[in-house]
Amino acid sequence: MRIETVWLGRGGQGIVTATYIIANAAILDGFYAMANPEFGAERRGAPVKAFLTISKEPFDDQEPVKTPDVVVVFDDKLIEPMRFAIDAAKPGGYVIVNTAKKPEEVKRLVGRNDVYLVVLDAIDIARRHVKLDVPNGPLAGAFAKVMGFPRLESIRQAFENQLGKAVEENFAATKEAYETAVVIPPERVDPTAKPRGIISTTSAFLTGPYELVGWAEVNKAGAVYPGTSLPYTTGGWRIDKPVIDHSKCIMCRKCWLYCPDDAVIEAWKEIEGPRGRKIRMKAIEFDYNYCKGCGICADVCPTGAIQMVREI
Amino acid sequence: MTAQVLAPKERKVAQRRIALTGNHAVALAVKMCRPEVIAAYPITPQTPVVERLAEYVNNGELDAEYIPVESEHSAMSAVIGASAMGARTFTETASQGLGHMYENLPIAVGLRLPIVMGMAVRTYSAPINVWGDYSDVMSMRELGWIIYLTQTAQEAFDTVIQAYRVAEDSRVHLPVVVAYDGFWTSHVLQPLEVPEDEEEVMRFAPITRSWVKLDVDRPVSIGAVGTPEWYWEIRWQAVEALRGSIKVIEEVDEEFGKVFGRSYGLAVPYRLENAELAIVTYGSIFGLVKKAVDRLRAEGVRAGALRLRVIRPWPRDLLRKLLGHVDKVVVIDRAINHGGPLYGPMAVELEATLARPVYNVLATVGMRAIDTDMIYEGALKAYRGQWVPDEVYTIGLRGGP
Repeated sequence: MRIETVWLGRGGQGIVTATYIIANAAILDGFYAMANPEFGAERRGAPVKAFLTISKEPFDDQEPVKTPDVVVVFDDKLIEPMRFAIDAAKPGGYVIVNTAKKPEEVKRLVGRNDVYLVVLDAIDIARRHVKLDVPNGPLAGAFAKVMGFPRLESIRQAFENQLGKAVEENFAATKEAYETAVVIPPERVDPTAKPRGIISTTSAFLTGPYELVGWAEVNKAGAVYPGTSLPYTTGGWRIDKPVIDHSKCIMCRKCWLYCPDDAVIEAWKEIEGPRGRKIRMKAIEFDYNYCKGCGICADVCPTGAIQMVREI
Repeated sequence: MTAQVLAPKERKVAQRRIALTGNHAVALAVKMCRPEVIAAYPITPQTPVVERLAEYVNNGELDAEYIPVESEHSAMSAVIGASAMGARTFTETASQGLGHMYENLPIAVGLRLPIVMGMAVRTYSAPINVWGDYSDVMSMRELGWIIYLTQTAQEAFDTVIQAYRVAEDSRVHLPVVVAYDGFWTSHVLQPLEVPEDEEEVMRFAPITRSWVKLDVDRPVSIGAVGTPEWYWEIRWQAVEALRGSIKVIEEVDEEFGKVFGRSYGLAVPYRLENAELAIVTYGSIFGLVKKAVDRLRAEGVRAGALRLRVIRPWPRDLLRKLLGHVDKVVVIDRAINHGGPLYGPMAVELEATLARPVYNVLATVGMRAIDTDMIYEGALKAYRGQWVPDEVYTIGLRGGP
């Protein structure tokens, strides 16, 4: 038996820790496991990929996982950009998704009917138990549920070994996910079918919108000429998004002043006046392409006009 | 092979003969090349270079920014920054100083900056030893710098000028180190010829400013992150540039010969025709080696010698051509390749180049004195079969093999 898995998430979500926890617990259970994270720019919100391989037999190859048995997606907004990884899941394998969306909607988003789809709201569970946006414990629980290993008790011990703190809180989150994750079985599995895609060794998503060219075409000395970071939209990092109630907004612009990402904008807005007249006026809006959902605007709003609303 | 001094009629530039130590010859060459930024920290045995350059700047003979840095790490950092701004730069170090600037050395390569560095070679501590052997410069071989090893004050002077021309050539754009013996060249007063008109040097090696540089009119970021998808490709350009620089080094050396009347080649052969034994070495002891060869020849041994001058890029084809016919190749190394396949760095590289065993001999480590007789006796042992290839031998080590 050899189970190959790939875990896709964003910096700060604890993806690496999640694979360490599972590997740690699997080793306690007598398996051989390697958690092999791929590091990029060490930056919160940047996409991160980690491999986790578990086997009954000893192994020493750190083979990049090309066609995983299990794909774990930490954030439903990563489904689209990391479609290549979901396509690469083996028929009859598992796709585990953290989302607040309904299972049917997730099934449509994932777009595969030949894999087990596991859906859970890991953020909600983590927030209630750990008081942090770290979905790793719940995802570990969901993993243990569908795979049948590692044992929950081993996961608890793994939290102890790996974190050494907040063990009971994390374990409670794991346990709740273990009990509540929704599993949608595949409609049909053709055991002879090959995966539709492959995770190639160059399919790293850290590169940005560049064309991969040979050494002779690369800029001399690695020079980077003026460009723009506009294509690097950071809105995908959000878990919560700010929503404004214009009737409470007094246009003090404190949110604009404090926003670290220039994502609070003043936009012209057409509203209907008291006698049915159309009036154009300025109103606070958000640039969701770049808003990372930090919530500072909601914190500083003196009238409570801005609320943070779950997005994934 | 243009190791010999060219006929006087080809000389174009009026020169005068003066007497200088190796260090002061290097300082003079640097002054004539008009670097715009000099940052260096004094360390024995190169201190007189740094002092003399500071004097030149202070008395107005050289219009350069002289940065009296607090360490070699800062010296290399400062010249990297200045070179990235498009300035012609110079620094110099040796031994522990090189070790201290080490982390910046590969950065100069990756940024493709044409920095020229002098090095009055000195061994590494401990025990503390300020004297000359080639341990320091040999530890730079893997970095991507162009490495010249020179024999005399004259050659160090000439090579500094060549180095600027090579480094700033748009086919190269790599840093260059010009090494010469600590003390045995750096502090030995010797005759040398220098151009009467310093402008000749700038005519030969004008500042090209053709490298990638920071420019307010054409903004650019250099030294940005190179993720695994990009790093290798960017570094490979430096690999290819170093490989290709061998042609430029030869071209520049030949043209230098036409203008100034002296050229050296990539390696300097001596009496190698029909030789059955060759002594290969580098640096100031080549004069002794040549005397030993003459003595061996006089006694009927068909001996020759070869001095390594450019070791990065490694002139593989030339060395095969020059040494291919020689039965016994005795490599006298002046640095220890600790625990290596052979205990001399150049012995390892020559064995790989010639694809056959060479005689591995260590000498002058920590500047242990050597004379012609000692070299002669060593060569004779190899010739008579008392020494065998691939074993480590020493010249001058008490109780040594």
